[in-house]
Amino acid sequence: MAVLDRSLASSSPGEAVRLPVASRLHDWVVTADHKKLGLMYIASGLVFFLVAGVMASMMRIQLAFPQNDFLGPNTFNRLMTMHGTTMVFFVGMPMFFGFANYLVPLQIGARDLAFPRLNAFGFWMFLFGGLLLYFSAIGSEGLYGAGSTPDVGWFAYAPLTSRTFSRGNATDYWILGILLSSVGSTATAINLVTTVATMRCPGMTLRRMPLFVWILWVDAILVLFVLSPLTAAQVMLLFDRFLGAHFFDTQAGGSAVLWQHFFWFFGHPEVYVLILPAFAIASEVIPVFSRKPLFGYPIMVAATICIGMISMSVWVHHMFVVGLEPGANTFFAASTMAIAVPTGIKIFNWLGTMWGGRIRFRVPMLWCTAFLVEFVLAGLTGVILATVPIDWQLSDSYFVVAHFHFVLIGGLLFNIFAAIYYWFPKATGRMLDEGLGRKHFFWFVLGFNLTFLPMHVPGLLGMPRRIYTYMPGRGWDAWNLVVTAGVAVQAVGILFFLWNVISSLRGGEPAGDDPWDAWTLEWATTSPPPEYNFEEIPTVRSRRPLWDLKHPEDPDWRWE
Amino acid sequence: MSAPRDDGSESIRMPAPTAWPMLLAAGICLGFAGLVTNAIVTVTGAGLAVIAARGWIREVLPVQHLEEVELRPAALRARDVLPSTARVDHLEVGRDGHRMRLPIEIHPWTAGLGGGLIGALVMALVAAAIGVATHGSPWYPINLLAATVMPSLSGAGTATLEAFDPTAFGLASVIHLLASLLVGALYGLILPLVPRHHVLVGGLVAPLFWTGLLWAVLGVLNPALNGRIEWPWFVLSQVAFGLAVGWFVSRREKIATLQDVPLAARAGIEAAGLGPGRDEA
Repeated sequence: MAVLDRSLASSSPGEAVRLPVASRLHDWVVTADHKKLGLMYIASGLVFFLVAGVMASMMRIQLAFPQNDFLGPNTFNRLMTMHGTTMVFFVGMPMFFGFANYLVPLQIGARDLAFPRLNAFGFWMFLFGGLLLYFSAIGSEGLYGAGSTPDVGWFAYAPLTSRTFSRGNATDYWILGILLSSVGSTATAINLVTTVATMRCPGMTLRRMPLFVWILWVDAILVLFVLSPLTAAQVMLLFDRFLGAHFFDTQAGGSAVLWQHFFWFFGHPEVYVLILPAFAIASEVIPVFSRKPLFGYPIMVAATICIGMISMSVWVHHMFVVGLEPGANTFFAASTMAIAVPTGIKIFNWLGTMWGGRIRFRVPMLWCTAFLVEFVLAGLTGVILATVPIDWQLSDSYFVVAHFHFVLIGGLLFNIFAAIYYWFPKATGRMLDEGLGRKHFFWFVLGFNLTFLPMHVPGLLGMPRRIYTYMPGRGWDAWNLVVTAGVAVQAVGILFFLWNVISSLRGGEPAGDDPWDAWTLEWATTSPPPEYNFEEIPTVRSRRPLWDLKHPEDPDWRWE
Repeated sequence: MSAPRDDGSESIRMPAPTAWPMLLAAGICLGFAGLVTNAIVTVTGAGLAVIAARGWIREVLPVQHLEEVELRPAALRARDVLPSTARVDHLEVGRDGHRMRLPIEIHPWTAGLGGGLIGALVMALVAAAIGVATHGSPWYPINLLAATVMPSLSGAGTATLEAFDPTAFGLASVIHLLASLLVGALYGLILPLVPRHHVLVGGLVAPLFWTGLLWAVLGVLNPALNGRIEWPWFVLSQVAFGLAVGWFVSRREKIATLQDVPLAARAGIEAAGLGPGRDEA
């Protein structure tokens, strides 16, 4: 066995040995290191995020004015489909797996995930699945010839996906792209579940495990439960399209509603798959910047498990307008409202953590604080939509669009930004610039609220979602113009973010091992960490092992 | 996993980098991509997948391929985590300067009920006096109250309302007593939330609110009864009730709420610094 010293290649900034570009590229392609794979997940997710953001901007330009002709209806449908699919499967999911990959082994004091090669396989399946989906823009034979990305929406309702209504193979690209990336997601989820179960360092009992790890563990288990039905449904759809099966063909005894059940049994828990990592990030950032231990750790763990379980019993609230029986509607309305309880517990516990703390409003904390505000608003409109008669009125309107963007941007994306600002120093050895970070924060939050708060109103006024244009004089015009203006303001924030990342990577302030005076194990190693993470596997006695070392006169293990 | 070597340096065995997982993923994806491109792509992908799977298996069986990664020199390793000089300041609920939830002290629940009983007595006396003064009969207000649940009385003439009716008296007494106890209990709960002027708030403001609410809804609920109520006298009796309850409740000694007790003790939540610690893990 050769003795390598690749650790030097990833040592502290300024001390790194610069390898040739080809060697460095080769290192990344063949790596089984969880940190590199985590960064590759995050980088891929950010690239997909920028692409999806451009698509959203184009759609908003189209909708800024009534009867606008910036985009045609077919292009609009394709952009809408690709935006939704990309954001859910190729932004939200890789962000989860990226942060989990990078941080879980570090936080539990392990050297890597349980199956490093499977980890690499999972990443490449995810990436190749995404690339195949986007290859449809070149290779697909759509209804209007080559170069047709899928246009069936991210939900791909049957029978719209049948050969009759989806000619060509753009829909097949959608099925295959997601199917393949789901295989990768399943592999990574198995890896995470096994790692947390078996590779925790000495002393790290489940009661001493960081809440970040707890939440991602539950999340990985949830992925295993909910991705399988989607994968099964996609295989069934492939059978329908390629082999003439009739699973979803209503004219041959199949059921279009069956697809909706399959899809939403995945689709709604998927919201929690995406939002739980956001909760994990907030549970890490808020205590550190409040200078207090997390309030109510056991209850937070219980609430996480409750969310994971209840999330699998709410899917029919996406199907109230299908016309199900009252008993089903009542049950799923009640379960949807019930899931607000453990979520509310989390909100109160984060507030309880901040209460009385010496809060430092650095950029990560700004994002988490804004998240608390926006996510409560998102939750309130969620409870409104859980009420069946209101859902009948508002279903498929822009009110719903505004609601889930509050969830996924105000909830998920805000915390992803918090996580990037918080862990960027650990991953790169350099701090992100605080001033640029604040500009990013204020522009983006302003733009977000300018976009999605007014978006509720045209929804209430009856504007359907997914339409590519509308007639003037319905009371929607001014609201849509404001919404589009908000997108431009968000884009300014994103430019500050990109500038910050690039300039900080080149010449950011050196971070040191522990720039935030934090408490979990990743801050006990160098920034960036060596390939083996720790020279010696640590032993912990509490949930905050670094606190114990920093405050031997008042260690946490005395209280836990 | 760390092993000292002959030259004194140390190394750690880590999984060796490998291209097989990437190639297997590429092979599988190409295999499926053939469904939407060309069968040759599927054949190529399947071939690549087989080769990659074979390579992967040979890499982990019978023994996993590991490589030794040399530990960083001591100067490039993480610095020891040193004890902090910062003082640890435990949050103590109830300490000066720490915000408390109002009310800090409350009345015992018996104060509200006792006030309700006293108020019921005073209100009954005042109402009876008003009845004598306006209709020459103490039974008039009592019959009006009973008329809320006795349809026969709600449409009765003035002479009937001025006469003694044992059924009406019994019903009115029950209604009056229950309502007074309930409102008294509410006074007991709410008055501690008011920072000052308890008797004024309880004796004047609250009865006016209550009367305003009744005035707004009684016309809808019972128009006949609404037409017979003389609102100035009604307000006077309510104020008498409120003053009596407010006076009684505010004279009772307050007791502290449980907020001085750590939340951990009340809710079973663990929180550092709120309970006695242990000396050893």
